[in-house]
Amino acid sequence: MSGEVAPPLGEAEQREIEAFVFREARLADTSQYGEWEALVTDDMHYWVPAGPAVGDPAAGLSYINDNRARLATRIRQLQTGKRHAQTPASPMCRAVTNVEAHRAEGGAGSDGAGDEYVVTATQVVYELAVQSTARLQLWPGRVTYRLRRVDGVLRMAAKTVELVTASEPQPNLTFLL
Amino acid sequence: MTAYHELVGADRVHGSLYGDPGVFAEEMRQIFTRGWVFVGHESEVAEPGQWVTRRIGREPMILVRDRSGGLNVLANRCSHRGTALCWEHRGRDTSFQCTYHAWNFGLDGALRAVPYPAGFEKDHAELGLDRARQVESYRGFVFANLDGSAGPLSGHLGVGGTDMIDRLCDLSPSGSIALGPNWLGHAVGSNWKMWPESDNDGYHLNWVHASMVSSAPDTYYQETVLGGETGNQSLAVDWGDGHVELDFRPSYRRELAWLGASRDKVPGYCTALEQARGVQAAGRLLWDGPPHGLIFPNLFLGELNIAIIEPVAPDRMVHWHTAVQFEGVDESFNRRLLRQSEAAMGPAAFIVPDDAVTAERMQLAMSGVGVDDAEAEVRRGWVDMSRGLGREERRDDGRRAALISDETTNRGFWRQYRTVMAR
Repeated sequence: MSGEVAPPLGEAEQREIEAFVFREARLADTSQYGEWEALVTDDMHYWVPAGPAVGDPAAGLSYINDNRARLATRIRQLQTGKRHAQTPASPMCRAVTNVEAHRAEGGAGSDGAGDEYVVTATQVVYELAVQSTARLQLWPGRVTYRLRRVDGVLRMAAKTVELVTASEPQPNLTFLL
Repeated sequence: MTAYHELVGADRVHGSLYGDPGVFAEEMRQIFTRGWVFVGHESEVAEPGQWVTRRIGREPMILVRDRSGGLNVLANRCSHRGTALCWEHRGRDTSFQCTYHAWNFGLDGALRAVPYPAGFEKDHAELGLDRARQVESYRGFVFANLDGSAGPLSGHLGVGGTDMIDRLCDLSPSGSIALGPNWLGHAVGSNWKMWPESDNDGYHLNWVHASMVSSAPDTYYQETVLGGETGNQSLAVDWGDGHVELDFRPSYRRELAWLGASRDKVPGYCTALEQARGVQAAGRLLWDGPPHGLIFPNLFLGELNIAIIEPVAPDRMVHWHTAVQFEGVDESFNRRLLRQSEAAMGPAAFIVPDDAVTAERMQLAMSGVGVDDAEAEVRRGWVDMSRGLGREERRDDGRRAALISDETTNRGFWRQYRTVMAR
């Protein structure tokens, strides 16, 4: 593949990817934890760094740096109903825009199996901290998804959110960003 | 002056102390200007010219290592017209140059050069940067006292502060710890004093952290703080001088319980510690683990995390934290500590966000309580802290100790608070 430009995505492929991203956003907004978790692969990595998303996540401290097992714990904790920091769940809505999708390097199987995409988008989450301060909190950031086709349907293998405010102290971030 | 000896009793505290702006202003002077305050760790400024920005109370400061290896805690404020000299969290420079009129300061805070010098008649020596009058470090932990009136650091740390820092550093094969590569800030809508309380409260875990306990049940908190009022031997300890500790050592039933590991999982670390300390002493250390306590007023030693409690406003604070890193161990061991820190501390972790929302709910509930309410004929706005007062024991080592669920730690913080606020 080196030196070649990856073939552009077809219209249907692009629309399918955008539909996935918007569905993922809606499930996160509405705190539908089980349905959201069903979107991820067994090797999912969920990363919210404390600065730009460069370098090895293992080398520093991140706000969120979940492998699949830790993500499962996160979801399980939210589903106990006793996660005070997210009880009740924050009312939220997010605008996801500037969606750009590319085929991941080495993922262009002609039969569609093993297809993998890197998708970037801009996201702003509006969240009301009803659990305590009742403040409206804004979470602007750049999102990078790694999507993979598994048994014919798209799944999320990685989600990285680079918050605009990452270098500064954050309030509770216990919902799905 | 507020009547602190009335607002802080032996078994209760008045709610106005968490939200009154006048109280907050007096705290910044009495506690953070007149006393010793933790500012950082020597490993953060290992090389000459390395600096980090911090606050002492509300005052923006720079901790910097100078060319001769000395530590300086300087006001982050040009002595000319008051412009901030540093606006990032950390950096490395050969000098500090103001962006307004290019006044240049040495790493020791001395004024070195002023552009167009003919029109400036004052002696440069008069216009060095404001600085903390006392700066001392103990085993790498750097403390500062702004006004220079606090006496030697050893007097402030006392037996308890010294003991807790020693027990942490002794766990590192080199005898020194380093800090993780970055700090994370957790912005909380509460008064800062909820955090000396919450970080060292052994009574709340079954309820505040119920979701963590049930979703990640194999934590060592099971044997150290959970399990009923008399179900474990952990202690709530008041060391005096505001330094307090939840002492889990009596509850550990195996080596390395505090790490959630056994020797076969971390053989390199155990071998390195045995080589450094001897087999017997290392064996003791591997059982005892790190302390969980507060060094008054703003340093939380959270086992393998270090946290700074930073006041912002009466109803706002930042809980900064980073992971402890040991020297002389393999990288995989230190990365384990980073991952454990991410799980426990910070705005998205499994533990501390539930403390944060609890602190914010306290702030919300006490927002209507004024200082005058303390004198109302009908009891109003008081916070009870009496639990276990009758079963505290004075130990031979001077510690005041009671059951882990007793409010001995909280009373210890507030006793010192009253002493320094009323002086």
